[in-house]
Amino acid sequence: MPELLRMPEVAAGATSALLSCWSVAVDDEYPAGRVIAVIETDKAVVDMEAESPGRILRTLVSEGTEVAIGDPIAVIAGPGERVDDVDAAVTALGAAGDVEAAPARAATESRPSDSVADEPPAAPSPPVPTEASSPSVAADGRIFISPIARKRASEVGLDVTTIAGTGPNGRIRRRDVEAAIAAGGSLRQVAAAEPSTVPAPLTAADHIDIPHTRLRRAIATRLTQSVTTAPHFYVKGSARVDRLLALRAEINSAGDVKVSVNDLLIKAMARAHMLVPAMNVVWHEDHVRQFVSVDIAVAVSTETGLVTPVLRDVESLSVTQIAQQTRDLAERARAGALRQHELEGGSTSISNLGMLGTEEFTAIINPPHSSILAVGAARTEAVVEDDAVVVGQVLRVVLSVDHRPVDGAVAAEWMREFTGLLQAPARILA
Amino acid sequence: MSEVSPLQQSAPWVRLETTEADWDAADPALLGTMFAQLILIRSFEEFVLQLAGEGLIHGPAHSSIGQEGGAVGSVLPLVSQDTVNGTHRGHHQFLAKVLTHLAPGGIDPTQPVSADIREALLRTLAEICGLDRGYSHGRGGSMHLRWDEAGAIGTNAIVGGGVPLAAGSALAHRLARTDNVSVTYFGDGASNIGSTLETFNLAAAWKLPLCFFIENNRYAVSTKVEEVTGEDRLSARGPGFGLASWQVDGMDPLAVYLAMQQALAYMRSGQGATLIEADVYRYFHQNGPFPGSAFRYRSKEEEAAWRARDPIDRVAGHLVRRGIMSREAVDAAIASAGALMAEIGEVLLEPVPDGKPGERRIRPSEWPDPGFVDTGIRGDLSEFECVRTVDRDSFTGPLTDMKFIDAVAGVMGRRMELDASIVVMGEDIHRLNGGTNGATRGLKDAYPDRILGTPISENAFTGLAGGMAMDGRFRPVIEYMYADFMWVAADQLFNQIGKARHMFGGSHPVPVVLRSKVAMGTGYGSQHSMDPAGIFVTNPGWRIVAPSTPFDYVGLMNAALTCEDPVLVLEHVDLYTSSGEGPVDDFDYTLPVGRAAVRRSGSDVTVLTYLAMTPYVLEAAEQVGDHIDAEVIDLRWLDRASIDWETIGQSIRKTNNVLIAEQGALGTGYGAWLADEVQRRYFDWLDQPIQRVTGGMASPSISKVLERAAFARAEEAVTGLEAMGVGRDA
Repeated sequence: MPELLRMPEVAAGATSALLSCWSVAVDDEYPAGRVIAVIETDKAVVDMEAESPGRILRTLVSEGTEVAIGDPIAVIAGPGERVDDVDAAVTALGAAGDVEAAPARAATESRPSDSVADEPPAAPSPPVPTEASSPSVAADGRIFISPIARKRASEVGLDVTTIAGTGPNGRIRRRDVEAAIAAGGSLRQVAAAEPSTVPAPLTAADHIDIPHTRLRRAIATRLTQSVTTAPHFYVKGSARVDRLLALRAEINSAGDVKVSVNDLLIKAMARAHMLVPAMNVVWHEDHVRQFVSVDIAVAVSTETGLVTPVLRDVESLSVTQIAQQTRDLAERARAGALRQHELEGGSTSISNLGMLGTEEFTAIINPPHSSILAVGAARTEAVVEDDAVVVGQVLRVVLSVDHRPVDGAVAAEWMREFTGLLQAPARILA
Repeated sequence: MSEVSPLQQSAPWVRLETTEADWDAADPALLGTMFAQLILIRSFEEFVLQLAGEGLIHGPAHSSIGQEGGAVGSVLPLVSQDTVNGTHRGHHQFLAKVLTHLAPGGIDPTQPVSADIREALLRTLAEICGLDRGYSHGRGGSMHLRWDEAGAIGTNAIVGGGVPLAAGSALAHRLARTDNVSVTYFGDGASNIGSTLETFNLAAAWKLPLCFFIENNRYAVSTKVEEVTGEDRLSARGPGFGLASWQVDGMDPLAVYLAMQQALAYMRSGQGATLIEADVYRYFHQNGPFPGSAFRYRSKEEEAAWRARDPIDRVAGHLVRRGIMSREAVDAAIASAGALMAEIGEVLLEPVPDGKPGERRIRPSEWPDPGFVDTGIRGDLSEFECVRTVDRDSFTGPLTDMKFIDAVAGVMGRRMELDASIVVMGEDIHRLNGGTNGATRGLKDAYPDRILGTPISENAFTGLAGGMAMDGRFRPVIEYMYADFMWVAADQLFNQIGKARHMFGGSHPVPVVLRSKVAMGTGYGSQHSMDPAGIFVTNPGWRIVAPSTPFDYVGLMNAALTCEDPVLVLEHVDLYTSSGEGPVDDFDYTLPVGRAAVRRSGSDVTVLTYLAMTPYVLEAAEQVGDHIDAEVIDLRWLDRASIDWETIGQSIRKTNNVLIAEQGALGTGYGAWLADEVQRRYFDWLDQPIQRVTGGMASPSISKVLERAAFARAEEAVTGLEAMGVGRDA
């Protein structure tokens, strides 16, 4: 039997995704696991793999179309399955027969016997229940939500894109928000859907308006959310890193994998997190989640903006493994080829501007993390050692911390452990 | 062969003309005053036209030049307490009344005018220019000149619109047991409109001390009087209505004076209303400084013939002939009147900075503050400061189950007993044991002079009540047998009563109460079944109360009769026969202005309703009570200024859902403005669009099943509540 292929939820909380291109032609048979389409979200380009062998009978959305999550994108059939009348099959499945994005609206509001089309009905029209699972999103990505529901969701920081509306047109009502809060609804993860194509800059005599890319808008949304919802405080630290640099040189002289200072710092962060587990947390509305393993996001600057792929289980990785994985993630980040899951998770991030000579800076926490470490350049400085001024390599760091799950003393303890590790770098590897 | 014999109207109809002997007999001081008034008015009007030519008059300048003789001749025999009003062309009547008020002993044309007169001319000119110094702070302008102190009760821009108001003033004079009269000036154009003709009848029937003074200038803008009537001797209409009538040459001020003396004797002796037709001529077009011939609806020869009969020349001629004034003194007086206006103009005008030579502008300090724009649409309610206000929760007197209609008659009887200024009028209210529904039961016997059965002429008696209210000595209450009749009286309700306070500067009260019956459900069909609240609420001057219980009726009627603003008291025939809680013996309490009543507390939806829909909504709320917890608010005060946002807002913040429930047709419905206001005030608190329960598109029909289908009751309220998708099962 033919069936509908629907837009998968490629990132938690996403309302829509871009059907970037079809990777197989209509009627060409594909095996299970074959990439049949490429899907783009705010952050990642995802290959959509076939779950089972089959072929596409008809595509329902054209390339470059923004599609609401869960909406049909193609009609597929099993390999060799005879379908004489594709139109009838499409109709039977209730999908639109053209190549436009199907509207997300499950049903339009019907009106009682009212023959005067341009005048309102005398009595309110009964709301038409919509499928409970269908998000309240119009074809253009607009979310139908009542004013009080929007206000309430905003008060608790609830991501309205994850809520199914039960009102007319699938409108999210206050009761839907309350139910989502009771169920521990997800915080906002992504920005609203964006136009799939970036228009050309608008130029004028005295300025150029550069249209937002999806990534630019996502950065703006997430970091604005961070500074407006996560109360930041900052703990500064510095360490002599002469021995750390020596250690790095020693490691690099032996193996063919080059380890950076940053890789050592990532490892030291993981060690410090294991030593101060109260730092390895993230904030939720009704609890603080503490992790067992340490996942650390690494800020990678790309041409279009900042992305933060996540290294997993850093506490159990060797520094060379960290170096390899970091390099792989950074390369793919710059190529725009990260998978969505590689961008999620973790409790902390590291952002290093040392290679650009920055002495010291503070960073904004990357939600839902509870901290981010801002790393400056290792500089040759005059250092007082045993009451004498000597020359040493000094590294300055600033840890931004979300005060909701973490108090100052915890952060201070973490900073003491971390700078201690940098000054006795063998312990990093222990 | 039938016998045919001529019939004669019972009222007299005469033409009065002066003789040389009349002029010889006239008091020199009277002729001097007549001349002084004529030249002051002529100079004033010439100056206004000059300003209009300079673009300094915003809006029309309806010149009275050529018509002064009618106004001056007719006003001179009046006293200050006599009242006059007029139409859009009313500068001359207003000024004549003001001059006569300020100089009751006459004006010597050879002497400079008094400071009072100079000040009055300045304020009148300022009003015409739209300036703060004017009598109405520039709001009224040329067409709305009012100075109550002088007995000038307001000119009017609606043709014929002021005529019923003058009847109200006349009734007030009579009820106050004075011999004062009211004079209403209008032209040949206004002689054909309903307001005027209805008032001819009403004033004649009630023998009001009212003079209808027709300045027949022969043209309604460019339309000739012969074109629009079969009898262009307009005074011929008077006897048909029973009005004693005079025709007189309006270019002869003494003839007008003598005719008015006769009419006054008739009116002051209680014989009733009169009509004077004065044939006059406006030298210029409808407005502006050009003659009518420039617009080709009349000839230069015709204009020259009328100008040859100029009233100023005529009076001046007799003054010189009789040796009262020399020709030189006449010329000097005319010149000094012109100089006076130029000097007054200097107060208001200044040269345009860096302008062309002679170019002038209004002095900026003379303009009203734009922030004054909406001030004084209604009163400040200070009249309630010393009034005992209670609500149901603070009322301590005994209560009983009573018929609603008994509360209606009960509270009016009590008020009339304590307040001799209350006068009730309407169709059949004096018969049928309290009118068609018993609302005035027992009152005609107790107060025969103050319960007045009217002719079927809503526009006239509504305007009459409005005029009484503006007069201030009486507090009129009018009853509409059916609410739909508001359209018949719409000019008086909305152009006159509803706007008067604001238009005349914001400080003149208009305490009139309109009891309007809603008769939906009685089988009276399309033209007798409307709920007028939605229309009245568009006019910000009106306050609206809608009592749904006998207790509330008493308290709201007392509030209406206290208020210095026009108040519509909505009554519903369904409620008349209902019973409910009401006072045993206390009919003196007043409900607080602007307080709604929460009839049922609930958490799921706020239902805003009023009048007879309230019990139906409560019934519906009980029916759905097992799954929808509705909060029912009986609005009680419906107008924009008095509605209880505090109670409404509190409820909406709680329920987040709003249903506005009313009985009547959608188009004229009340809920639209309220929904608009609610969404702007409470947008962030709403969980769905504001919903409405109303009747159908069309007005209800006669057929019982069609009528029932056309308006809303409990069943529709249930449907409306269920459709909101609120409550436990939703």
